[in-house]
This record gives sequence, C-alpha cells and structure tokens, in this order.
Amino acid sequence: MSDTAGLTRRTFLKAAGAGAAVASFPTILLSCGNENTSTSTAQKQTGTLSLFISKDTAHPQQQIQLMDLVKQAFEKQNPGSTFTFDTYASAAEEQTKLETAVAAREGPDIFEFGSTVVPTGYASGAFEVITNTMWDELGGKKAFFQPQLAMSGPSPDKLIGVPWSGNPYAMVINKEMLQAAGISKPPKTWNEFVDAAKAMTNGRDTWGTAMAPADGFDPWHKIWLFVTQMGAKLMDDTGKKGLLDSDASVEACAFWLDWMANFKIASRQNATFKGADETKSFASGKIGMQVMTGPGGIITYDQGAVAGKYEYVVGPTVPYGMSSLPAKGKPAQGFVSGQYMTIFKYSKNKELALRLMKVMTSPEIQYQLFKLRAQQPVVLETFTKYPDAKVAPWDTLYDAELKSYPTPFFGSWLQLEVVLGKAINSIAQQIGVTGTYSKDALKAALSQANQQLAASIG
Amino acid sequence: MITEERESAAVAEPGIEQVVPGASARAHPLPRGSPLRAPYWMMTPSLALLALIVFLPILIAFYLSLTGLNQYTIGDWLHAPFVGLRHYRDTLLPQGAFASSLFNSVKASVAFSLLTTVLITPIGVGAALLFNQSLRGRAFFRAMMLIPYIIPTFVNAILWRLVFMNGTGLVDQLLGDFHLGSRETFWLIGPNALWAMVLADVWAAWPFVYLMSLAALQTIPGELYDAATIDGANGVRSFRHVTLPLMRSTLGLALVLSTINHFNNFTLPYVMFGISPPEQVNVLPLNIFVNSFVTFNFGLGAAMSVVALVIMLTPAVVYLRAARVGDETR
Repeated sequence: MSDTAGLTRRTFLKAAGAGAAVASFPTILLSCGNENTSTSTAQKQTGTLSLFISKDTAHPQQQIQLMDLVKQAFEKQNPGSTFTFDTYASAAEEQTKLETAVAAREGPDIFEFGSTVVPTGYASGAFEVITNTMWDELGGKKAFFQPQLAMSGPSPDKLIGVPWSGNPYAMVINKEMLQAAGISKPPKTWNEFVDAAKAMTNGRDTWGTAMAPADGFDPWHKIWLFVTQMGAKLMDDTGKKGLLDSDASVEACAFWLDWMANFKIASRQNATFKGADETKSFASGKIGMQVMTGPGGIITYDQGAVAGKYEYVVGPTVPYGMSSLPAKGKPAQGFVSGQYMTIFKYSKNKELALRLMKVMTSPEIQYQLFKLRAQQPVVLETFTKYPDAKVAPWDTLYDAELKSYPTPFFGSWLQLEVVLGKAINSIAQQIGVTGTYSKDALKAALSQANQQLAASIG
Repeated sequence: MITEERESAAVAEPGIEQVVPGASARAHPLPRGSPLRAPYWMMTPSLALLALIVFLPILIAFYLSLTGLNQYTIGDWLHAPFVGLRHYRDTLLPQGAFASSLFNSVKASVAFSLLTTVLITPIGVGAALLFNQSLRGRAFFRAMMLIPYIIPTFVNAILWRLVFMNGTGLVDQLLGDFHLGSRETFWLIGPNALWAMVLADVWAAWPFVYLMSLAALQTIPGELYDAATIDGANGVRSFRHVTLPLMRSTLGLALVLSTINHFNNFTLPYVMFGISPPEQVNVLPLNIFVNSFVTFNFGLGAAMSVVALVIMLTPAVVYLRAARVGDETR
C-alpha cells in the first residue's frame, strides 16, 4: 500500500491543525510584543543568547518547531540578535549543568528549571532576581497565572523564575472501563477510589490503576499529595528538618504501596515502572484511572486505544480511612508545577535575555506552546485571546492549576525528593519480587531516609 | 629441563651487576658534579605534571570532604563551611546516617568486580588459546572477538537493559518459551539484578582478558612446547607447566586491572538501573554520584570518594607489585 494508507483521519486533522497554527505565525510575528518595536534599536544590546532548556521527549519535533517560531519572532523584534539552545533530558543532566555553571561562573544566559529545582537555583545565588521594572517589561506579575509565581522565588521581592509553562495535575479516567464496572461517577474519596479500582481489576490484563515507583519524581509527588490531604507535611517550616518518618508519612507511603501489595489494584509489574510507562499503560486502555497526572500524556492518549474514551477529572481529596477532609487537610490535586526561565547572574546578555523572555511569554508563543507541545500556557491573556486553550480536557486542568499548592521553597527539597524516592523504590522492588512488604521495613527505610536528609542538610 | 634452560640463560650474562648504574651508585656514591651522577632534576617537569594531574585533585577532594559543600556554597566552594570529620563519621561509624549505605555499596562493588573477573578469566584465556592456533579465518574471528569490547558502555547497558526487561525482555521471553521459569521474572530489581549486571559486564569485558592472554601466549617460544612434548607432556600438562607459568605475570596484571576497572564501573549500573538502583547493584561509584550530583552533597560525596580511594589502594598495591614482577622478569 502507499504511504498515504497509514494516514488516518485523526492524524490528518492533527497535522492540518498544527499546520494551520504554524501557517498563522506570520501574523504572530507581527503581533507578539510589537508595541515596543518602534523604540530605538540602536541602544539595545545585541548578541547571541544561549539557552539550556528541558527536552520534550514526548514531542521532540514539535519542540524544535516551537523554538523555530520563537527564534523568528525574537530575531524580527531584535535585529542582529539570535539564540542557540541546548537541551537536557534528565534531572541529573539539569543538575550537573547547574552545578558546573555555578562553580565555574560560566554557562548559558538562560536556564529553564522545573518548579522544584528553582529553590535549588535560588539557593546557589547564581540567578538574577527579577525586579519590578523587569516584571513590568514582561507585562507585570499580574499577567501570569498567580499560583505559578509561588514557585518563582521565596518571597514576592525575590522572584528569580519567569513562568514559561504550567503542568497542572488532575486524575484521568477511562470512562469505558468505569462504565463497564458499573461506576457512574469518579471517586471523591480514596476509599471510593480503591473500591472502584477493585471493580475494574481482573488481575491479569486490566487494572484499576497504575503507579510508577521507579520514577525519579512520581513517588514524592504521590506521597506529597496524600500527606497534604491529611493536613501534614514532609518537611518542617524551617526547611531544616525532614518529617519523612512521621506517622502521616508512613501512612501515606503504605497506602500508595498497598495499591500493589494489599489492594492489588495495580500490577506488581509496576514496581519497575517510570512515569512514561504508567502513561503508556493507561493509553493502552487497560488501566481504569491514572492519578495525579498532567497534560503531558494527552498526545499519547489520543494516539492510543484510550482515544476518545478518557476524561480529566478532579481526583479524590479525602484521605483513605476517613469520610471527610481532616481539620488541617487541604483538598490538593497537585502542587504548583511547570517550567521557569531564569537569567544566569554571570551572563553578559541579561537585557537581551529579558527581551527573549518577553517573546516567550507573549500570548502568541504561549498559544503555540499549547498547540504544539500540549503544555498549559501561564500567561492569562492567552486564555482570553485563544479560548480553545480552556476547552475540555483543558478546562479541568485550568481549574486544577488554580487549586494547586506550592511545595516548600527550600533548597533542601530536592534532597528530600531523592531520599524519599529511594526509600519508596526499595520497598516497591520488594513488593515486585515477593508480592509483599512489612510496615516495619517501610518505617525503617523512611527513618533512614530522614536521617540521611538531616545529615545532608547539616 | 625448562628451569635449567632459564637458569643457564641468566648465567650466560656475567657481570650484569656491574653495568647497572643504580647498583654501583649505591655501593660508591658519586661526587657532586660528576657527569655520571643521575640527573634527577630532569624529572622535575614530569613530577610537576604528576603533582598537578594526580596529587592536586586528590588533595582538593580531601579538602572538600572536610567541608559542607552543597547547593548553597557551590558558587564559592573555597569558602564552604569547614565541618571537620563529620562526613567520615556519617559514613564510617555504625550509627552514621550513610554507614549502611556505604557498607552495602562496598559489598556490591566487591561482589560485582570479583564475580565479573572470575567469570571473564576462563572465557578470555580459553578464547586466546583457541585463536592462538592456526585456524582458517583466524584474523576475522580475532577481529570479531573485539566487538563487545569496542561497543560503548552505555550502548551495552541499554542493550542489556532491554534484554532483561521484565516480561517483555528477551530473557523472560526465552524463560517462558522453554518453560524454564516465569515470563514475569524480575532482572532489573531484586537479587537477580546483580547477576544481570555481571552478565552484561562479562559480555563486554572478557575480550580484555582475551587480548592480554593472546599477547602473552604469542611471546612463548614454540620450542618450549616441542621440548615438553619430547618429555612426554600431553596438552593439559603443557598448559599447566609451560603456558600458565609463562603467562602468569601478564594474566595477573590483566586480572588486577580488570578488578579495578569493574570496581570503578559507573556507566553500566547507571544506565541499566538509574539513580535509584536495587541495593544489590548500588555500587560505590553510583552511590557517590547520587550523593554528590543528585542531592548536591558534595562534601559527603568527596568523603566517600576518599574512602573508595583507600579501598582501591589494595588492588592497586597488588597491581604495582605485579608490575614490578614484570620488570624483574624482563
């Protein structure tokens, strides 16, 4: 058969949609941030900026396409200037580059960080505080999704990160599986969640849910969620003391691990799963509910067996074993998550870097970020200018973003993520191999993790 | 007979003691300014380079191990707070927060390096013996033997990760197809992880022993085998009494180098298992990397590196002794 035989209606429409978005870009070039193009360019700094940004492993081609559009707009508005970019595909790469640049005082002009790495960047003291004048250049702080600013810096006058994209969390359900199991509406409590998941599990090829304990981030995401809903914390308010071995933490970890070990609503094979495996698993149509997931999976779902059968919904907020939210509990769906642009303190192109940020945070580029990479825009004007950025499933994600809670802004949070992840991972591996675990072993692992955290913080 | 031949060869060079400059210098020190006096000052550039490349980094690592260098101080690392021996207490004392982690890592590293070395030795020596003989297509096969060795470690690690993937990997598929085990056997987590890593490394590393052994075999004169045959030695006896003794020093060196290399292998476990590896394969280099570059605890990472250096001095001393044995033989 010819090549065109493999072109489905869906693929065609997608390609046409992306094409149309790109085709409309000449207008974008003229409109994004053009109010200042008449100002004298003779006094403006020119040069070549270097960027270090996270790689979009799910949509690599679309990322290149987007950066091309950014470059066109930037070069048009800033004659004689351009930028190059390098990408990192893992947290380890991101951190190594950060460490090297800070120690050598030499590196890219702009670093892109995930929300929980911004505190580490701030702790290093190697990134420019964005002053009010600079914010004004970018359209003012009010132009941005307000929860995002909570992770830009430790206080409103010490913000170092300019929000670039959002990653709101919600629960995604397979409507067909829920319906087949006789469940009419998504669970609101974790007890309901377990019951619904059991109803969808046959223990062979369909499972109520999935988990990714081998992932570098997923374990602390989930434990943070459960602990926050319980009204507890993983770290005290000073950022000097971990609370990983508290009763709430142990209960939260046990509840999550029990999905595999006791409730048996997730396959034991999940013990080796990373985030991408979990998403693929849901896309295959064999998983009923995927908890605390962002928009990153939308393209994968649309290309999988679950296409047209899934929906983003508000996930459970009432802790397991409780009938309502406890006194200090928060109805959290997720933490403030997304990507931020920061200006390296030792850059010689700070003014130019700010001008590039202005281009990247224009509603037009933000909309392209949404269309091409399925990322949530963080500039509010984008949603008024392009209403489809808030159409389902994005409406749920938009609401989820408004209800997200910031993680503590401490440089030591990153260490907490790692030690907690390792402790959970070791028990999950035990479950994968033996099918069970002891709560004492979990307590010991968390206690050791807490000791290691204390020793690391010093 | 062989021993007699070697002894007679040594005796055939009388007066060798007198022409060794070091020996005469020791007996009668030459006067200052003598042209025959060893011009040690000429070694200054080499010594300076050695100090810069080897000793200075070690000193810096030791200094860092006494500081609380972390994400807050990395921008000005020379002024990181001095914490004395705190990191050593954390790692070496039984109640230290990282003591069990370090101990497990040392265990994992020792087990991994010794098992790998033990397994690659017979494979490498056997292949060298086979391809030291006249065979049709010998050059081609000799080249083929090197393929696992020249494949980059990270590629090797990715390949073996895929082979050992739970459920979908080749190993689990074969186990299931031939009813030898469960198709759902875990190889990348749990106790099997060590064997998975050892197998992956054996596949990549045995050509090193093969190369060294082949080089040693090619230096053994054929006459010695002829003499052994005349004396009535069969193949096994020739191997035990001719081949093995004459390749002993080279093979010993190969095994020591191999052990050190496996002990320091970082890429293979990092790519195969990531930064949260099972305890069984959380080898020392990986543990140091995680502490230094993932949790930003550079001081602790430096202290662990110093401990690793001390541990590695053991086979290093063996290596140096082996190298000296080589000098004496020459």
